[in-house]
Formats: sequence, C-alpha cells, structure tokens
Amino acid sequence: MRNIAAIAWREARTYFTSPLAYAVTGVFVLLSGYIFWASLVRFSELCLRYGSNPYVSSQLNVNDMVVRPLFGTMGIFLLLMIPLITMRLLAEEKRAGTAELLFTCPVTSGQVVLGKFFGAAILLLFMLAVTLSYPLLIMGSGARPDLKPTLVGYLGVLLMGLAFLAIGLLISALTENQIVAAVGAFGALLMLWVINWMTESATITIAEIMNKVSMGLWEQAGLGMGGPTLGDFLTSISLIGRLDDFRKGLLDTQHVIFFASVVFMALFATQRVLESRRWR
Amino acid sequence: MLDVSAVTKTYGTRTVVDKVSFSVNKGEILGFLGPNGAGKTTTMRIITGYVAPTAGTAKVAGFDVQEQPLEVKRRIGYLPEHPPLYREMLVRPYLEFVARIRGVARRQMRARVDRAIERCSLGDVAGRLIGNLSKGYQQRVGLAQAILHEPDLLILDEPTVGLDPSQIREIRALITSFAGEHTVILSTHILPEVTVTCHRALIINEGRIVAEDTLERLAARGGRTRQVAVRLARPGDGAAAALGAVPGVAAVHPQDGAVGDFMADVAEGHDPREAIASLAVARGWGLLEMRPVTRSFEDVYMEIIRGGAA
Repeated sequence: MRNIAAIAWREARTYFTSPLAYAVTGVFVLLSGYIFWASLVRFSELCLRYGSNPYVSSQLNVNDMVVRPLFGTMGIFLLLMIPLITMRLLAEEKRAGTAELLFTCPVTSGQVVLGKFFGAAILLLFMLAVTLSYPLLIMGSGARPDLKPTLVGYLGVLLMGLAFLAIGLLISALTENQIVAAVGAFGALLMLWVINWMTESATITIAEIMNKVSMGLWEQAGLGMGGPTLGDFLTSISLIGRLDDFRKGLLDTQHVIFFASVVFMALFATQRVLESRRWR
Repeated sequence: MLDVSAVTKTYGTRTVVDKVSFSVNKGEILGFLGPNGAGKTTTMRIITGYVAPTAGTAKVAGFDVQEQPLEVKRRIGYLPEHPPLYREMLVRPYLEFVARIRGVARRQMRARVDRAIERCSLGDVAGRLIGNLSKGYQQRVGLAQAILHEPDLLILDEPTVGLDPSQIREIRALITSFAGEHTVILSTHILPEVTVTCHRALIINEGRIVAEDTLERLAARGGRTRQVAVRLARPGDGAAAALGAVPGVAAVHPQDGAVGDFMADVAEGHDPREAIASLAVARGWGLLEMRPVTRSFEDVYMEIIRGGAA
C-alpha cells in the first residue's frame, strides 16, 4: 500500500511539476467551457423565445439541454487527451532506465501498475474537478439543475476516463517510445468508440459465427442459432455508448461493472506485460 | 552472502552469460572485470532480479532471487550502468522517493537521506533539479540512491564512469569504506579501479569466468621474472653468445636501439641475474644496467582475456 502511494504520488508530482498537467487541463477546460457556454446561450435563448408558451417551457430543462451535451463532449475530449497523459507512464520509465530502479526495489510489478494508474487518476480527478465550476455557475445564475443526475453524469465521465487510462497504460507498457504509446492508445480508444457504428448491418448472430467457426458442430450440439447479434456484441463493448445512460442521470450497475472490468483487465494485462519483460 | 551457481542467460541463440558461478563473502569487495560486452551487466541484472536467468540460481543471504525476489531486493542496493534518475525531480525528493520504495521506515527516512547526501557529498546540490546536474553529480546521486537504505549487498555497475579524477578518488574511498559491514560487487573495465578498491577480482570474458583470484595472486602471475634486460658499455663480439650460455638463460635477443642492449629470456624457475653480473665483470663489458622485466597486472589481464595461460 505504501509502495503504491509512493509511486502514485511521485507520478502525480511529475505531472504537476511539468507543464503537462496545466496544458492538458487548460485545453480540456477551454474546450468543454466553450461547449458549456454555447449550450447555455442556446438554452437561454430558447427560454426567452418560448418562456410565454407554457407547453414548450415545461419541456425546457437545464439538465437535458446544458449538462447532458457537456458530458458527451467531455467524454470525447478525454478520449483525445488521455493518450497524451498515459503515453509516458511506462514507456518513459523504460527509456530513461528508471525501470531498472523500480524493478530492483522491493516492489511488486502489480504495485508499480497500480501506482502508475492512481497517479494518472489524480490528474484526471483534477481535470474533472475544475469543470465542477460549470454546474456551480448555473446554480449561481438561479437556474436549478438537478444535482443527482449531474453527479451521476460526473461518475460516468470519471469511470470512462479511468477505463481510458487503464487502456493507455497497457499500451505504454508495450513500447519504449512515447509517440508510439500515444498513437497506439489513440488507435485503441478510437476503435472502441467507432466499433458500434456498423451495428445495424451486423445482423449475424454470435451463435451463427460460432457455428461457422466450429464447422457445424455448434448446430449439431443443439446450442441454438438465435441470441444476440454481432452488432449487439459490438455495441456492448463500445466505450462511449456506455456513457449515454450516465448522461441521462441513470445509474445502471451494468455499466459500472463494465467500466470496472475494463480497468481490471487492462491493468492485469499490463502487469503480465511487465512480468514478461524479465524473461525477454 | 552471495552465491551464484551456473547462471546462464541466452537471448535467442546468443549466450550472453555462460554457466557463471562464484560466491562472495560478507564484507568483501569483489571486482568484476572484463571488456565491454563480456556479460558483466547481465550477470548483475540477474543478481538483482531485473532479468531472469535462463538457467542456474543466484542466492543473496540464502534467498533465491527467483523464488523470493522481494527478500533479495530488500537486501541489495544497485547502481545500474546508467544511473536511474528522474531528471525532472529535485535531488532530495528523489532520494526520499527511493527510500520509500526501498522500504526505509518513516522514522529513519530523514536520517538515512541526510546520511546518503553527506556520504556522497551532495549537500550543495540537494535542492537542485537532477536533470541540470553534471554527469559526475548525477553519478553520485545514483550512488546515494543505492546506499541510502544501508543494503547488505551493494552492486555497482561501472560506478566511476564519467567522473573526473578527483571524484573518482572520492567514490573509491567511499566504496572502500563500505568494506566490512557491507558486501560490494563492482564491475569495471578500468583496471586500476580493481587494484585500488577490490580484495578479489573475477575476470569475465564472452560470458565465461576466465580467472578468479585474489589481487595479490593475480598480480603475482605477472610478478615472476620472465626476462632480463641488460645494457653493456663495451660488449665484445660474441657477448650475445656468451650471455646465452649462462645457466638459466634460454635465449638472448640483441635489441635494436643500441649496440649494447640485450634482452635475455629466462628459463622457468631460474634467476640468472647474479651469473650475468659476474660474467659481465669478468669479461670487462662494463655493465651499465640490468633489470628484471616483470609484467604489470594489465599485461596479465590482457593475456587472460586473449585466452592465454598467464
């Protein structure tokens, strides 16, 4: 525990003593702030225009029209920025030779992985904490966004950000080159984003694929040909799609468990990669 | 303290370390000597648990590096060839970080870091950015990092590379001061380093141990008189033949430089110097100089590396 904390703390310090943390947070806040401002302006214009119409004004809701799009864009910005946060985590350690220090200290590779992950998570928390000013601004203006859906939205963005971090960390463990680590993480995250774009046309079921792969054995065994389609499967592993329910303010344990599993699996794979290094 | 037995490491078809076995007793300073690429660094990485051996075992204080890596890592301090420094950190926070992951107790932390800073004379730069330090200071920070938890076994991979002569002397004095309470293994390809600091030397070449002995004995291999250089003022004709006839002289080579210079090869186990002197006096050659030619430790080393028997 003490080792994890020491590594995480050192990692966080490195982010904040270099321009990286400020550049990443600054750009993130600038972009999401612009989206926030633009949707707020649109919302207030709609309120002015339809304020006298009781039917329409009952449909106008600050949560739906300002907070929800904000979380959606935050998710996309994180997807673009997190590879830049994770690229140096392990790649730099190997290049600079400090990996030789970490792995000859009485520290397990699991502790190294967790320390790195939590260190990067501190920066993510900092980035999100700065954006908390937006909902606070709305409250100050007299509009009353529902607090609970807003917090659920934040939880969703945080969980998704952690999943991105874990995947980025895994890619960083695979290379010594930071640029390669960043590009690899971009590729992996974008792939997991767009993977559900062809769901409508992927109507073949998983069972049919299994049947083809097993050359008819699946059907003979009477395992059935129905069930979820490939499209359903791809939708379920798409990372961004998982954010929709959180943005609506729905807290579904299915999504929480999904993100937790992604984090766990990526960190576990990272630990295995680090262990295998000794044998190469 | 340290037991390495039949350790082998192969990368693909290339064998980098080939059945290396040796042991080091507590308090000893062992010099690990060999040309670049001989397998010194790989052997050290295996002992520290950074690299897993293909075969064989390394034990530190009775703990197998592969079976109980944490127990071993708790007992070692390691300075790799390139000091493992976080360039963007200040010296003191860096040492505190290392102390924490090396498992130094919180209460002792301050004292240990202070002591390491003092021993490596880093007091003036403790608050500076590591990346801005000179190579010599960076090397010392690397050394401070290796000693701050007072390890039983200190492993130093080329600790004096990049230092100026006065820094080299300081570092050597520091290493010598560890003898007794700590065990030290240090690798180098610089010979004087071993002669100055180490008790025992192990010469490794192409992954194999080619010689292992105390320094006195290794040096003694070169200490025997192999040749005698003789300078005569008035050598008559046939001086060379007469010298060659002296008992114990195997052959005589006239030297090119001057007329009276001869080099006499000495037969194994003989010392013909006295006989040569009295012969020179008897013939009236005018003996100006006679000196036994012994080989330096460096010559012995070169010969061992080339595969000749010393």
